[in-house]
Amino acid sequence: MKKYFLDAGTTWSKILEITADVNTAAGKDFEVQKSYKIVPTATLKDLDLEFTAATGHSAGLKNIKKYENEVVALAKGAAKWLENDDIVLDLGSRDIKWVKFKDKKFSDMDWNTNCASATGATIEMLLKFYNVNIKELAPSEEKYPVTCGIFGLERIMDDVAKGMEAKIAISKFIAGIAYNAWNFTKNPDRLCVSGGFCENDCFIKSLQKHCEVQILGRFILVDGLYEEWKKSCGSF
Amino acid sequence: MKDIIGFWGYPHPEIIKKYKQNYPDAKWIDLDIDFNYPEIKVLPDAYCAIIKNIFNNAFYLKDRLIKVLAPIGKDKCDSAFFAVQILKDYGFDIEISIFEEGLTDDKSANGRDFSLIETPISNSSLPLREKIEKITANIIEEKDYSNLSKCKAEFGFWGVPPNDLSILELFPDNTRVFGWTRCVEAKSPADIGLELYVENGLPTVFFAQTFCAKNQLAKYLAGKHNGLYIDIDGVPTNSIKAKIEAFLRLR
Repeated sequence: MKKYFLDAGTTWSKILEITADVNTAAGKDFEVQKSYKIVPTATLKDLDLEFTAATGHSAGLKNIKKYENEVVALAKGAAKWLENDDIVLDLGSRDIKWVKFKDKKFSDMDWNTNCASATGATIEMLLKFYNVNIKELAPSEEKYPVTCGIFGLERIMDDVAKGMEAKIAISKFIAGIAYNAWNFTKNPDRLCVSGGFCENDCFIKSLQKHCEVQILGRFILVDGLYEEWKKSCGSF
Repeated sequence: MKDIIGFWGYPHPEIIKKYKQNYPDAKWIDLDIDFNYPEIKVLPDAYCAIIKNIFNNAFYLKDRLIKVLAPIGKDKCDSAFFAVQILKDYGFDIEISIFEEGLTDDKSANGRDFSLIETPISNSSLPLREKIEKITANIIEEKDYSNLSKCKAEFGFWGVPPNDLSILELFPDNTRVFGWTRCVEAKSPADIGLELYVENGLPTVFFAQTFCAKNQLAKYLAGKHNGLYIDIDGVPTNSIKAKIEAFLRLR
């Protein structure tokens, strides 16, 4: 017996599959096996799955039983990882959001809502446009100001036109994103990071120039959906 | 046919009284509100939605407007002061209003107990949208709402009436009103001490219209009181709504 939980991002979707033993699944203490996978969001419509709960920008599918707010899913999924005054930052394709905990309880949050020009989708676009492999990126000491990502893109194009290697320019853009993320979360000493940027080594190292970083991975939101479902009904 | 008195903000009660007496059959229209009238390209594209509403409404209703009552003091904003100069140039008949009684600075605000100022609508258990609609309507209607009972507040909403009132429907009924809207109910729209007041420990959303100078206060107060700062330009995006929803659920 299986249940599916979905974090449908702008570019990538994260799916948590829960498998329960049918003999023990009647109550809440069923035995489970968890498995995670990532698929391109564009392919979601082709999956013949019913999702018990979903979150994310692209979760407007018909086969979803319950939609959950993204920040709520982040908060629920990250709760077990966070100590006093810890902040979890989720940086993905299109948005950046964070939640702060105090005494194991929610205390503060923010979510960019207007401009997504300095997030993951832009990095993917730059890598494709300049034909750069993400593994070629090294953290940069210098950073472009990306308070407005569009102005940051302009700086990349100017510098590349003047002869700078594209991988150097993209690294400076990523250093700007890391600095922005640190400022956006109010300059903490330690940040827990969730979302696609967990796998961007250049970003993580750039962020480490400003604070201690703990990587939580890409599945915190689907874990949050599962935790919520377990609390509210949790029965197969 | 001219049959409308247009106004924005909170014109001085003496001016309202005079026009009620002189034009007892006139309709009163709050020009701050978005009625979806055609957009007039007088202002910059990136500008306060409320001031844009004033222009759009005034131009659409121009042939019917007897007078525009126009607050321009600390009770409204500099944009309204400049708007008057432009509207006059376009031939509108305007009476300016400066309603600054009760204007205080921080020093004189110290020691005042703002919770004692009578604001029954702001403190009531009416739905938040209805609270704010009643407060703004009461600028002209002057009904007595003292019979409304005070609710135990769970959340606070600080700010001016938003351009799109639908965001207020996200809040539970036991949300208390603060900021300029509360000042209006207290008949003291320039009382900066009261405008800065929120209840300690009450999770509060601090709202300002994008491009409004009140963003300065909204962001500062949200930081000071561990609230949520939001600014909205025109119609809120789904992300803004989700952000408010998350704050209300997690706090």
